[in-house]
This record gives sequence, structure tokens and C-alpha cells, in this order.
Amino acid sequence: MDIAPALSVEELSYTYPGGGRALDQVSFSLAAGERVALLGANGAGKSTLLWCLVGVLRASGKVVVGGTELARGAEAEVRRKLGLAFSEPDDQLFMPTVSRDLSFGPLAAGDAPEESLRKAHAAAGQVALAEDLLARPPHELSSGEKRRAALAAVLALEPEVLALDEPTNSLDAPGRAALAEALLGLPCAQLIATHNLDFVRRLCPRSLVLVEGKLVADEQTASLLLDRGRLADYGLLAPEKGPT
Amino acid sequence: MVARKRGKDALWQARELSLAGLLGALGLLLPVGFHALGWGGKIFLPMHLPIVAAGFVLGPATAAGLGLVVPLLSLALTGMPPLPLAPLMSVELMVKAGVASLLYRVLRLPIWIALPVALVADWVVLALAVLLAAGFLNIKAGALAYVAAVIVAGLPGTALQLAAVPAAVAAIERRLPRLALKRGKQ
Amino acid sequence: MIGHFDLYMRRESALHRMDERAKIIALVGFVLAALIAPTRPVWPACTLFGLLGLGLVFGRVPPLLLARRTLLVALFVGLPLLVSRWGGEDARLAAEAFAVKSLLVAAAFMVLMTTTRTVDLLDATGRLPLLRGLSALAQFIVRGVNVLLGEVVRTYRAWALRAPRANLQLRVRGLAAASVSLVGRAAARSDRIGAAMVLRGFDGSLPQAPARSPAAAHLAIGVAFAMLSLAAAGIGRWT
Repeated sequence: MDIAPALSVEELSYTYPGGGRALDQVSFSLAAGERVALLGANGAGKSTLLWCLVGVLRASGKVVVGGTELARGAEAEVRRKLGLAFSEPDDQLFMPTVSRDLSFGPLAAGDAPEESLRKAHAAAGQVALAEDLLARPPHELSSGEKRRAALAAVLALEPEVLALDEPTNSLDAPGRAALAEALLGLPCAQLIATHNLDFVRRLCPRSLVLVEGKLVADEQTASLLLDRGRLADYGLLAPEKGPT
Repeated sequence: MVARKRGKDALWQARELSLAGLLGALGLLLPVGFHALGWGGKIFLPMHLPIVAAGFVLGPATAAGLGLVVPLLSLALTGMPPLPLAPLMSVELMVKAGVASLLYRVLRLPIWIALPVALVADWVVLALAVLLAAGFLNIKAGALAYVAAVIVAGLPGTALQLAAVPAAVAAIERRLPRLALKRGKQ
Repeated sequence: MIGHFDLYMRRESALHRMDERAKIIALVGFVLAALIAPTRPVWPACTLFGLLGLGLVFGRVPPLLLARRTLLVALFVGLPLLVSRWGGEDARLAAEAFAVKSLLVAAAFMVLMTTTRTVDLLDATGRLPLLRGLSALAQFIVRGVNVLLGEVVRTYRAWALRAPRANLQLRVRGLAAASVSLVGRAAARSDRIGAAMVLRGFDGSLPQAPARSPAAAHLAIGVAFAMLSLAAAGIGRWT
């Protein structure tokens, strides 16, 4: 019996209001629990693709998340199933305290206050965010803590698919390692848009590569990272060997 | 205002709320910057700049609410403007931002009409509020002279608003093109 | 991390631990009392200053800090007091009442802000249906301040590094450029924050967070403080 993919994207295309083609007939799918890297140089269309998946940018083509097709009237359902963590946590943490921020999604989804708090604490635990940080305003957190808080805010909605936009931005090596540990422990499917090939090598067995809005590669990360010439063609720099 | 419930406009409302928050934040930070440079707040009226600009990019209720909240919040967070002045400024900015929004976003008048009218509305409300407060405190003598002094002292700030607000509104509308389309649909 | 942009002073004290709703009740009672209290005879105002002193003691608020924070108010009310010396008796009494009431209200407000986190205060006021919208707006402003403060500091440092000995003209141009850039950045950021809200289920109204019940003892103290203030002011005015 075929198992329905957690995320299915078919012939997704998006043109900027100014006329530039940002995505061109992109198709791929993610199995439940699969971790996939989305690679590409600056301006390749990675972030645009993520915004299209949650319907903030309206693209042509078909997006199905956990069996729900992205269409007018179904955006809220799709957004509950596909959580997007932004590249800049300050854009994502908008409530006065971390705890209020983490429980915002469950409360908005109609959960009882106690249940929303339970989900907030569970999500904080998933990313190893210390309990004492929950009562603090987001600006009191360090960059790494903010990143994990933003991730927890998305996880509190218990998404089937987690999309992350440049999750390693402004993180130092221990911060990246802690984030990687947290992501490895999550059961949901993950689509990780990043430039950081070290991070990808550790986390994602499979990689997608975008070049000027076109999906030019969908293959095993290990084989892709060995092909330095092709990586250079894609505007990517092969990582040095060694621990991440 | 903030708690309107119209599902299809949720994205717009969320953007309006966050834009109001950030412009309000500028309303708190600019006076601190001006004071740090040693420039008088009563002369350059730095708090007025982002709040008046907010009047041109937010709906009337949100803009008026922002004008009402920012001086009081500034008092709470920075201790400025001092207490007797903060409620007066709240009323002033509420009317100024509300009138600007009403004229520009609802009645769709051009900014070069809406902005001067909002400035004059501010002076009228200031005069009324000072006269009312003076009557309440039984200090009638000099109330109008105080209003005149405040207006004259703030003329550089008024000129700054006339010059900077249209530029700021244009900058915001450039960044948020959907905002321009929203005019008249409040 | 950028430091606090508010008047809160982290400290261990009875007033710091007290529920913010109880403190708001006490403040509202105190402000009403200050507004109705006469300045002749002087004992009602003195009683209110005494109650304010209790706040200082139980909040461990350094008197010098409070004096510094109410200095602006003192300057503001000092002028009418000075000018009234050339006016009649009525004007002098009115200016005196204005000064006393302003100082009482301002000092009480400062004690509250020094001993209570802004987010907790806004959370408490947000539970009043009448103030829910304005409190939500204020919460977004506070969050915005702390986000933009980081950008202001970075912009200022970049500017100061390039123009260490700027003259007035350069300063004006620097401030104007930074302000315009901040407005543009704030607009772009609001777009992203708006998207973040909608992606997490915002449908036009902010969900109410769960609230713990205030301790009965805290509420009783807040109400008692308010009643005591009002009693002193009321007896002074109407007897």
C-alpha cells in the first residue's frame, strides 16, 4: 500500500509582481519523518518556495500537505500542518513573553488555555529551551535561544512538516550543534533551506537544489557533496571534511 | 480596533497591528535619540513624526489608538513626556493621527491636504484641552498664551513633519505596495 | 542582547512580588485620592506622601532614584509655582495644588513602573475588556521597541564609526538617513511579523492567554491601600 507523502509539490511556479520568474515548475515530495535539504545560492528561490508552500505568496501549481491541498479556504489547515520557521527569529517572536508566544498558536487554533500551555512547554522541551526562559521577553534571549524559541513556537502547533529558512543564521558552532541535536530528535518531516553544507551533511540524507527558480537536483546528499564541480556550478561551496 | 474579526482580512490586520507596533516603537525611540543629541523635544516634536506617518498608513481606529497609547507608554517606559504633559499629548496625537487617516485613507484626499488639516486639528484640540485643564485647575490667566507659545516653539517640528512625513509615507508604501491598494477600503 | 527599555528595576522586595493587578488597584485608588485631596489643610496630602513612602520602603526603591525620575515633573510644575508668586492668592493656591497633585501621581506611577515589569502590567490591563485593544497595541509597541532598539544601536555604531567627529550638518544628515532607513525597515519587518502571526493562526483577534488567579492577600492589600488613600483625601475634602 502506498503511503501518502507528508508534503507534495507539483509544478509550482511563481512570478514576482515586478515580472521576474522566481520559481519555475518545481515538483518534489517529502515522506513522513524525512529530512530534506533545500540548497541554492542567494536569490535561487529557496525562501520564495517556502512562502509559497504556506500560501503567503500565491503561486500556480499544486501543494498538498498531509492530505490537504493548499487552496482558498484551506490555508489555515495547511498552515497548521506545515510550520515555517523564519530566517530571522525576531520576526517570528511577536508576543511579550516567550511563553505567550509559544502558546499563541495552540490558543488561536482553539485549544483550551491549559492545553495550550502544555503544548508550549512540550515544544520548549523538544528544542531544549530552559523553563526559566519562558517567562522572559524575547529580547532578553541570546541569538541561539531566540532561534530555539522561534522553532518551539512553530512546533507548539504540532506540524506534520517543518520548514526552516536558514536555521543556522547567526548561530555559533555550539549553537548549530544544539540546533542539529534538536532537529534530529523531531518526528516530523523537515525541509531545511540553508547555505550551510556542513549542517546539511549531518542532518539531511537527501537534498534538493534550486538554481534560478528551477529544481536542478534531487538526490542523496552524500553523492552531491562529493561532486565539487557541480556544487560550484550551483553556486555552493563544498564543506571541508571533518566534524560539524 | 485590534480585535476585529474578519477572517479573510486576517493577514492585513496582522500587518497593520505589527506596523502600528513598529511605528509606535519609533515614536518612543526618536525622542530618546533627539534628547541624546541635545535637541529639544518641544521644538522638533520627534514623537509626532512616526505617529502622524502612522495616520497615513493605518486605519483611523488603529491610528487614533496608537496616538493615544504612545505618549502614555513613553511616560511609563522612559518617564517622558512628564506626567501633566503626557495625557495632553495623547489627546493631541490621537486626533492628529485619526484625522490624517480619515482624510487620507478613508476620504482619499491627497496627502498635501490631509497633512496640513491634521496639523491644524492638532492645534485646535491642544487649545481646547489646555483651556479645559486650566479651567479645571482654576488657572485661566495665560492659558491661551501657553498654547501660542507651544505652537510657536514647535514650528520647526511642524516644518519637519511637513517635509518628512510624505517621504516616510512614500517609503512605507514602496515597501508595502498592498498598502496603497488598501486606501479607501478601511 | 539589548538591555531593558523601561523603568523596571530588578530587585527582591514585597512590592516586586506583589500581583500586578493588586498594584494597579492601589495605584488607581491613590491617583483618585491625589486628585480629590485638598492642599489646605495639609494633612491629607501629607498622609498621601506618607503612603507613598510606604511604597518606597516595601518596594526597596531608592529615594534618590525616585527623585531623579520625578525631576522632570518637578521642573514642569515648578514654573507655574514660580509664576503664581506674582498672581493673587487664588493663583498661588491653584499652582500649589497642581504641583502637589502632579508630584504625587507621578511618584506613585514611578514606584509602580520601578517595581513591575511592563509586560506584566500590559498583560493585566489587557484583561479589562475596555483596554484589551489598546493593551495589545502597547504590547506590540514594547516588542517593537526592543527589536528596533537593536537596529538603532547598530545603525548608530555604523554611523559613529564612519563619522567620529561629525559637525551639526553631518549629525542632522546622519539622523535623517537613519530615521528614514528605520522607517523602511520597520515597514518591511511588519510585513514579515504579520505573516508570522497569520501562519500561527491569527484570525483578526489576539487569543487571551491563561491567567493565574491573584492571591487574595495581595488583592486585599491593594484594596486596603486604595481605600486608605481615598479615605484620607475624602475626609480632608468633605469635612
